[in-house]
Amino acid sequence: MHDEIDFDQILSQYRADPYEYIEVTTPHAGRLVFKTSEEKPVSGPSGEWQHLPGTLLYELERERNVKPVRSVVNGVVANLERALDGQFVEAGEKVMIIRHPLKKREIIDRILRNVLSMFLAPERAKYFFALDIQSRIDKHGQRSISIKPGDEVLTMSLMKRDTPVLYQGEPGIIHSVYFTPGATVDQDQPLIGICPEDKLPLIQKIIARVKSEWE
Amino acid sequence: MGIIEAYRRAVSEEPGLRPGLPRETAEEILRYGAVVGAGIEHLSKAARCMDLARERISQAEAAGRSFVSGPVIVADELTGGKGRFSRQWYAPPGGLWLVLTLVNILLPEHAALYPLAAGVACGEAIRHHGLPATLKWVNDVMLGGKKLAGILTETMIGPVSGEEYVLIGIGINVNNTSFAPELRHSAGAMAQFGGRDFDLAEVGGRLLAKLAWNIGLLHWAEAKALAGDRGLEEEMPHPMIRAWLGLSDTVGRKVRFGFNVAERPHYCAKVVAIDNLGQLVLRLADGQETRESGGEIVYL
Repeated sequence: MHDEIDFDQILSQYRADPYEYIEVTTPHAGRLVFKTSEEKPVSGPSGEWQHLPGTLLYELERERNVKPVRSVVNGVVANLERALDGQFVEAGEKVMIIRHPLKKREIIDRILRNVLSMFLAPERAKYFFALDIQSRIDKHGQRSISIKPGDEVLTMSLMKRDTPVLYQGEPGIIHSVYFTPGATVDQDQPLIGICPEDKLPLIQKIIARVKSEWE
Repeated sequence: MGIIEAYRRAVSEEPGLRPGLPRETAEEILRYGAVVGAGIEHLSKAARCMDLARERISQAEAAGRSFVSGPVIVADELTGGKGRFSRQWYAPPGGLWLVLTLVNILLPEHAALYPLAAGVACGEAIRHHGLPATLKWVNDVMLGGKKLAGILTETMIGPVSGEEYVLIGIGINVNNTSFAPELRHSAGAMAQFGGRDFDLAEVGGRLLAKLAWNIGLLHWAEAKALAGDRGLEEEMPHPMIRAWLGLSDTVGRKVRFGFNVAERPHYCAKVVAIDNLGQLVLRLADGQETRESGGEIVYL
């Protein structure tokens, strides 16, 4: 974790370019047909459980199986590789970029993700806190919970099989929780953000600064 | 006849019960599942078989020994049975209560199907005794709208080795026909539907043989997939999913879904398929489709 943070530089970067650029690549080889075009607005999944899929970006056909690929974020289509339309493409081919406008909450989140220690989902599954951790959170709040490597912090539930998830990372308190119990989390997405106790004032300073200065 | 003898006899009969498969393939599948029952411990009473299995793993690892995959602990009665979300599980004499411990050596996409394999094994064992049990996703074993068997699958990480163990706890209401008042409308026993008592050792032995088959099937399917066997690819869906679909009445049903559906139902939808990962494919009222990899359903 960085002790010194140049707030002015970080904030001016976000002011000059308040977007995140999400590269869209093909998940496998196949014949590609675009279903959107340059500068078209797109939306990500929505609904109470994020069950409504995002805007259709393109279809990928392989051996007569057509896979629709949808946007995972809100934004605008940029750098669309029009020449690939109707062509056979390899897996991992970059086909477009989605320019996603960042909100204040997302900017705080992006900065914190650089300074907190992230604990990532080992598999695509549903997660919830271990019973002991949950009862301590209910009693004292998550930011009073210290964890260290080897602690059973979470339970991963996949097809009704519960697996304990042991924390690996630097010791600290649970500062941010990025999952909703019972909702599916993709592999390698952050589950919790950990902050060493002595760095907590710095984190609070970051949040206060962005909140006060970002319109 | 005890459960061990019943198991030996049932497993020897198993290839003959799979007429759609060449005998050598059936025997190959059973060889993969032969670890099931690598030691059968039969107790008259226990608090929870799951806890005992955890103790056995911890003891073996603390003594510096490798834990052998496949042991089974059976108890005639459990005094501290628990279901998911700390729900109470009644396990009086007359029922079949056991836990099977496996060392997880499957790749994640195949290991995800352990709970389905356990459900299929239960369903097949009960059907073998003449009762037309069905499976409700993920692995509730039902008959006449009542739950005959429950399965609790948990993973334990070895405290010394870091090895991943899969503990499959199975409870079948066989001859135990009296239930707590809150369960009378939702639980049933084989004896109630069959109109007679069943031989517990025979039901237990048959269940272990079905577990050997279905756990073997997971390993066999993984081996075939890793070898790039085109035959298996052409046989999609996964053989375990096909076996599960053959016993289930879930697809096509309108359901209420929730992670803990009794306490926090999420939404209602129609089940349109089970995908190759065992996930539930649901169509919502607005026509959108979503997939669930965990949780519970209630039929509407």
